[in-house]
Amino acid sequence: MIVCEGLTKMFGSIIAIQDFDIEIPDGRIFGLLGPNGAGKTTTMRILSCLIRPTSGRAYIDSYEIGMKQDAQKIRGMIGLLPEVPGLYETLGAYKNLDYYAQLYGISKTQREKTIKTTLTNLGLWDRRNEPVGGFSKGMKQKIAIARTLIHNPKYIFLDEPTASLDPSAAKMIREYILELKSQGDTILINTHNLSEAERICDTVALVKNKTIKIGNPKELARGLFARTISITMQQIPPSLLKDISSLDFISQEQVNGNQLILNVRNPEEDNPRVISWLINQGLQVQFVTEEEHSLEDVYLKLIEEGGR
Amino acid sequence: MPWRNAWIVMHKDLDEFKKQKFVIGSILAMPIVLGVILPLVMFVPIVTTIPLEKQWDIDGLLTIGTQPDDTTTPWTNQTIENTTLSLIVINHKILKNTLLNNCIIVSCILDNTTVIDSTIRNSTLSNSLLNNVTIIRSEGTRLDGRHILAVSSNLIFTKTKPSIIDQVLPMMFNMILMIFIIVPATLPTIIATYSIVGEKNNRSLEPLLATPTTDGELLAGKIFSSFIPSMVSTFLAFSLGVLLLDIVLIPKVGYPLLPNLTWILSMLLLAPTACLMSILSCVLVSSKVSDVRAAQQLGGFIVMPVVVLMLGVVAGFIFLSPIMIFIFSGLYGCIDVGLFYFARAIFNREKILTQWK
Repeated sequence: MIVCEGLTKMFGSIIAIQDFDIEIPDGRIFGLLGPNGAGKTTTMRILSCLIRPTSGRAYIDSYEIGMKQDAQKIRGMIGLLPEVPGLYETLGAYKNLDYYAQLYGISKTQREKTIKTTLTNLGLWDRRNEPVGGFSKGMKQKIAIARTLIHNPKYIFLDEPTASLDPSAAKMIREYILELKSQGDTILINTHNLSEAERICDTVALVKNKTIKIGNPKELARGLFARTISITMQQIPPSLLKDISSLDFISQEQVNGNQLILNVRNPEEDNPRVISWLINQGLQVQFVTEEEHSLEDVYLKLIEEGGR
Repeated sequence: MPWRNAWIVMHKDLDEFKKQKFVIGSILAMPIVLGVILPLVMFVPIVTTIPLEKQWDIDGLLTIGTQPDDTTTPWTNQTIENTTLSLIVINHKILKNTLLNNCIIVSCILDNTTVIDSTIRNSTLSNSLLNNVTIIRSEGTRLDGRHILAVSSNLIFTKTKPSIIDQVLPMMFNMILMIFIIVPATLPTIIATYSIVGEKNNRSLEPLLATPTTDGELLAGKIFSSFIPSMVSTFLAFSLGVLLLDIVLIPKVGYPLLPNLTWILSMLLLAPTACLMSILSCVLVSSKVSDVRAAQQLGGFIVMPVVVLMLGVVAGFIFLSPIMIFIFSGLYGCIDVGLFYFARAIFNREKILTQWK
């Protein structure tokens, strides 16, 4: 489990993160979302024992971040993928992976086996000795991700893992991340890709130098926005908007073509009442759907408010 | 295994080094130009124009004839030892450890004897000091002295004034030797200054620092990955230089002069410690500055302690004897240890990651 309690980091007078509180249970995917400079990378670096917090505490399992005697243990348990792949460009993919596998103390036999499997899965086994400097960004990112996972870490920190990948490669990485989760790994992701976060994260934290909101990506919108239903009808009479406004559980109403769009408090209870009322008015209802707010809507609303 | 990761870091850096052909070229070329070609061009013309004959350091020596004409005189068994004799004639005696002053010595054997203001005839001398002596029809070896008149005698003096070549060679060797100390102190600045700044510039430092590698292991790995190519290159140039100098000098002196004890000690002790001092300073600089060029500029100052030694040698204040080599190696070794601990103490992952641009 990863726990941050009141974590604060200042660079001189600049506050990178302040009173940051998160708790990531084992086997979950946790997304950090926020604008540039919100402190996402700083948080990841603190948890990787690369920088020390100014105040507050953070723990990975029973080890405390910032304690010198715990740093080596923590580094052995985590795998960090930084924003930039940071590969050794004159060396081949095999040597890049082998170097890190050795640093993590993996035996020669195990290294050879793991690297062969990894590079074969990435479709790079035949090109394992080519200098990676000549590879595409996507390929480099794949190798960097493989490097992050080479020692089978319990905690995986991914800073923009799909940023430079094409859609199919990004999909492959997302599937891989979900597979890692199914194996019980705990994953912390920094990302700007909100749809990706929505798809793979169990929990997201919206951050802007501090934690603005934490929750399940889908549930975050429910508490934040009124729920909107869209009712498609064969015909909408002009007086309908005025008549329907008399219903007290409807907070907002508008017509768009043959669609009646209503904000309701609780669709599970209110939808049947609306439909009954419409049928009683002699109108024919074709479809009823709930319009969902995306994580992007949540992000934009919260980050804008958080910035004020 | 302690320091295991230092070994791994070193191997990786050497793997990267092997891919950089231009760097390898410069690492190999510099010692060969400075340690082989330059000495040959500068010193060989001097050595080859120096005359070969030795000059005796005996004022007024006059030799007439070559062999004594009376070598059949019977010898007695009487031996005179450990005494001082003066104003007497000595015949057919064996004289050992004696001081003879104003004597006439005839048909004697003199060993380890000092003879002053005397005449010696039909005698055999060895290991003796002669001052203002006339020697007639005698022979001698390992003699020394001044104001000697030798008639029909065959005398061999061992104390000779050093020839010009004998005077020039030690200076020349000292200068060349200093080149082989300067070279390993200069070479690593190319590799070592790049060691940490280069990782930062390639953005490969962050994932590396997130591994369980300790600061000490990382620094040690970086240090030895610069040390090995520098010393290998220096040893190659040294071997080639020694071989060529011997080829040039053997016709002059008759036997191979190099490598002598001073040179061997220098290569085994002084050059490696100077090399390490330079690398440690470069690593120290490169962990504090964020730019490769700045690191290399500062690295230029790093060889100063070695340059000071060279200036001392050139100015004649320091002669590189084995004792001097031990003294300077010990000094450099102490500085190396101090620099390593200092570099490790000031190595700050956070500053490197957050303050370097």
